Amino acid sequence: MEEKNLSKNESLELIARMIKETRNSMERGGGNIYLLWGYLWLVVALTIYGLLLYTGDYRATWLWFAMPLVGYPVMYFMLKNRKRRATTFVEAVISKIWIVIGVCALLLSLFMFVNHNAFPIMFIMALLINAGVAMSGLVIKFKPTIIAGFVGILLSFSLLLIPGINQILVFAAFSVIMLIIPGHILNAASRKAIAAGLDATESSSKSNKVSNV
Amino acid sequence: MFKELDPLLHSQLRLAVMSLLISLEEADFVYLREKSGATAGNLSVQLEKLAQAQYIEVDKGYSGKRPRTTCRITPAGRAAFEVYVDALRSYTE
Repeated sequence: MEEKNLSKNESLELIARMIKETRNSMERGGGNIYLLWGYLWLVVALTIYGLLLYTGDYRATWLWFAMPLVGYPVMYFMLKNRKRRATTFVEAVISKIWIVIGVCALLLSLFMFVNHNAFPIMFIMALLINAGVAMSGLVIKFKPTIIAGFVGILLSFSLLLIPGINQILVFAAFSVIMLIIPGHILNAASRKAIAAGLDATESSSKSNKVSNV
Repeated sequence: MFKELDPLLHSQLRLAVMSLLISLEEADFVYLREKSGATAGNLSVQLEKLAQAQYIEVDKGYSGKRPRTTCRITPAGRAAFEVYVDALRSYTE
C-alpha cells in the first residue's frame, strides 16, 4: 500500500473495505475444540457407566476429573499450534464464556467432595454446559449450535427424572448432541467457506437458509 | 462547520491498520501486512507512529520459537478513530 493523500470518500471506502476484510476470519478446523471435548466426554461417560455397571465401585465417578486433566492440556496444545493471526471480538467473547463455565463446572465438581448430595450434579452440569453451547451458537450465529444448545437445555431436565446410573447414559448422549454433531457440521462449513472465500457462519446460514439472529 | 481530520489517521496505511484493529480483539504483524497489502518496512514505521501516539499497543512476543508482534487498539485509539469518522461524516453530509 503506497502512501498518498486520501480524499474523504477514499477514506470511507478504505475503512469499509478493511472492516469487511476482518469478517473472513473463520479458520479451517474451527470445530475441533468441540470435537475434542465431545469425544472425551463420550469416552469418559461410557467408561464410568461400564465400570459402575460391572464393579459397582462408586470411585469410578472420580474418572470425571480425567476430562479437565486430559482436555485442558490437549486444548492448550491445539490452540498453541494453530496459525492464528487475528482474534475477533466474537472469538474473544466465546473464549470468556467458556472460561466462566469451566470455573463454575470445576467448583461444582469439587463441592461434591464436601457434600455429594448437595445438588443433582448431572443436571446442573448438563444445564450449565448446554447454556454455554447455546450462548456460543447465538454469538457466532451458527444454527446447528443454537439448536443443539437449546435442545440440550430442554433435555437436561430429563436428568431429574431418570434414576440411578442411567443418568450417565443420557449425559453421554449430550456430548453427541451438543458437541460432536455441531463440531462436525462447523468443520464442514468452515471447509466449504474457506473454499468459497466466505465466512463459515455465513456459508452455513446460506446453505441452511437461516437468517442471522 | 467542517471538523479537522486527525493527520495521524488521515494516511492510507495508518487508516487501514486502525480500521482493521477497530474490528478485532488483536492482530499480528503478518495479518496486518497481508490485509493492508503494505511492505513490512513501511508497516513497521506506521505501527511505530501509531504506538507513539498511544493509538495502538504493540506486543513483541513469541509464538512457539518464532517472534510474533501483536497489535491491539487502545481506548485512546478507538476514541480518535470515532472522532475521525465523525469528521469525515461532516464533510460528506
